[in-house]
Amino acid sequence: MDRISEDLKQPLVELILSIADDKFILGHRNSDWTGLAPILEEDIAFSSLSQDEISHATVLYQMAAGLVETTADKLAYGRKPEEYRCAQIVELSHDFDWAFSVCRDFFCDHFDYLRLSRLARSSYTPLAQVAARLVPEEEIHVHHIDTLMKRLGSGTKESHDRMQNALERLAPVASGLVEPTKGSELLEKQDIYPVTNPSMFEAWSKKIRQVADAANLKLSLRPMRPDEIGGRRGRHSSEFAALLDELTEVYRLEPEAAW
Amino acid sequence: MSRLRDQLHLPLDGELKSPMEGDAKPFEVFIQLVRGKPHVHAGTVDAVDPEMALQFAREHYGQDQACVHIWVVPRSAMLGTDYDHDVIWRSTDRSYKLARGYQVHNRWLEFRSKKDVKEYEKEDLKEHY
Repeated sequence: MDRISEDLKQPLVELILSIADDKFILGHRNSDWTGLAPILEEDIAFSSLSQDEISHATVLYQMAAGLVETTADKLAYGRKPEEYRCAQIVELSHDFDWAFSVCRDFFCDHFDYLRLSRLARSSYTPLAQVAARLVPEEEIHVHHIDTLMKRLGSGTKESHDRMQNALERLAPVASGLVEPTKGSELLEKQDIYPVTNPSMFEAWSKKIRQVADAANLKLSLRPMRPDEIGGRRGRHSSEFAALLDELTEVYRLEPEAAW
Repeated sequence: MSRLRDQLHLPLDGELKSPMEGDAKPFEVFIQLVRGKPHVHAGTVDAVDPEMALQFAREHYGQDQACVHIWVVPRSAMLGTDYDHDVIWRSTDRSYKLARGYQVHNRWLEFRSKKDVKEYEKEDLKEHY
């Protein structure tokens, strides 16, 4: 179908924003490495992949903006912190710990790949088309990050320990990626966000555990408890407000300016 | 990019502990812009293994123009001639080997001007578009 009913618009916008916000904030965090990554080749590759995240976010913001009659810029830069739908894992500062950034990408890229693949089967055609275009690009990210995980996980003792350490720091927040957005059960019922079997958490944790095993790294994940509230419902990490403040400072100077 | 970058202490020259070279090796990168056309040497990347080299090459040499295929080859696998010692082009007169001196331009124009060529092209275009 090409149109969706009014009552499904808000749930759909929540879902699209959760993906766009993840990518926007992750791309922003990762862009910090430009010029500073451990080796030149990876520096350029990592920057190029960060640009992908931002351009994926742009496409999704445009789609959401079309549904609620606003603009992509207003969605990206003009919301209050609690109106963002990103998972907390993308917000955390990397403190220039390369292992931290690689492991964070690992959790996020695999989840994004599953999420977009799921949307590529959506009954809402415009979304299915966009998702189908982004899936092969997300696959590049997955290949890239898996290669790095294996290389660093089974490299020297130092590289292995740093990666293990980063995985353990991130694992408790990583499950927040899988937190459902508000009204997602309505989208599932209409096949706009088709249900998966096994569940997203199972599929995602199984895949990343396989890669972690091959990388000689230990990984233990637990699903979010149903009573836990995270970024998908507007509860963000303590650093998020400051991050957003800096990210939007130019936009806020003149919100209506044309770029 | 955030202001976190301003707070980062970058090691000065003398403080760098890791060796300049590490275990990375050079790989030559060849890119193909159109299927079926030749791969063209694009440059090099340094990587620890072929898979990483391919990952790097995709982002280095595959993003500034539309590109359909990439090869990476470890430089150690390539054998080359020596500028100083290996003569490739002979010093004796082999100019007859150069594809030069054929006066085809006028003949080509004359051929193109014929009516049946236009008819053929019309048919050919019809098939392709």
